[in-house]
Amino acid sequence: MSEADERRVSEAGERRAARMLRWYPRSWRERYGEEFAELLLADFAEQPRSLRRAADVAANGLLARCTRAGLTSHELPPAEQIRLGFATLCCALAAFLTFGVAMLAQLATGWQWTTPRSASALGGSVAMSIAALCLVLIVALGAVPAAWHAAVTAVRSHDGRLVRPAGLMIVSGTVLVIGTRHFQNAWPGTGGTGALHGLVPAGIAAFGWASTLSVSSFWVHPAVLGTLPRPELAWMVVSPLAVVGLVAGFAAVIRRLPLPGWLMTCLSRLSVAAVVAAVPFLGGAASWVLATAPGRAVLFRPGLINGGELAAMALALVVALRAVFAIWRARASRGSAGKATERASSA
Amino acid sequence: MPGRAARSAGPDALVTFGRYAGPATLILSSLADGPKHGYALTKDIEQFAGVRLAPGTLYEALSRLEGQGLIEALASEDRRRPYRLTAVGAHALRAHLADQRRVAEVGLGRLGRNWGPA
Repeated sequence: MSEADERRVSEAGERRAARMLRWYPRSWRERYGEEFAELLLADFAEQPRSLRRAADVAANGLLARCTRAGLTSHELPPAEQIRLGFATLCCALAAFLTFGVAMLAQLATGWQWTTPRSASALGGSVAMSIAALCLVLIVALGAVPAAWHAAVTAVRSHDGRLVRPAGLMIVSGTVLVIGTRHFQNAWPGTGGTGALHGLVPAGIAAFGWASTLSVSSFWVHPAVLGTLPRPELAWMVVSPLAVVGLVAGFAAVIRRLPLPGWLMTCLSRLSVAAVVAAVPFLGGAASWVLATAPGRAVLFRPGLINGGELAAMALALVVALRAVFAIWRARASRGSAGKATERASSA
Repeated sequence: MPGRAARSAGPDALVTFGRYAGPATLILSSLADGPKHGYALTKDIEQFAGVRLAPGTLYEALSRLEGQGLIEALASEDRRRPYRLTAVGAHALRAHLADQRRVAEVGLGRLGRNWGPA
């Protein structure tokens, strides 16, 4: 093989190793990436093609990502585990709220026109409305001090790593609010009797409906999708991207932010409260979706998409629960390590 | 992970490794002979155990062992980084292998008594 051929083969191997490394999270790549790539190159030389190797790298890369999200039993150092736990919790709650708000907006739309006759729809709507209010308050109570601390830290320490995710969060949030305000005027609840609103004020229900317009069964009915106005269709694509940008930005800020004790305690307690509040919300949604007989009360009839939303919310809640356990376990481990150090120094 | 503080582990540390307990035992046994980098570990384990650890599994086990303080990384040689066994790792490996030997002796003894000598 000529020198040029050898160089080409070596460069191709490097590119392949770099591609395989993408399965792993950035922090893992920073620590192990170079030596792992070297091992892969040696392995390529012995076994040029191996399905087992490709599957092994993919599976372990995804496992490393789950570990970083606090979703495996493999423990990370407590401070890192706590920050990652909050970031995971934030993503899980965002997914839960997105599907939950879409479902509640659907019920509120029906309630604008008539009172639900079935006990499951009525009870579900009430339970979801109260729990949603609690959840929004809890999220705000956590997000405001966290955002304030992030802003102060970024300004005082000139921490450039916080600027990009914070920028993404601000841009995405602005797009989401402006777009939602624009599209909420087309809320299907507008024009109802106005006498029977349920527990959700019409303006808030309209805002919830417009912000979750993309959670729609229209995606599997291209003919219906084609009849929608172009701006609305564009919003159905842009709004989930804005939600993802907002949540990813916030999660990245939390992951990179050194959390002081008071904020950690505050967020830990709020995380438990959020999971507790999410349970009656899910219960209310389940009582509506699972107990309402098809065919009755057209406005409150659940469809397949509601079953999907319910499953997604249940999954998000399980992830959130695991993240909360990981946070509290890490806090306990941090506390016991601190006590052990104190005992050692006093001895 | 960067800045990871190694935590002290007890003699039963390998039990908590779940499905990585096997690869971790092989790695510790290989490192008991002296520091090695990833490729040298793969070849050594293949030679003494007849098992070829895939790269992803090897590094996940290495990362867990390092996190538990059972092994430690040495300075890089070019792009390869050798690892060596720590005193805690040696203690954990000894305890784990002693447990395995007890199980092997019981199993072989029962086989010998009931199924005849090999």
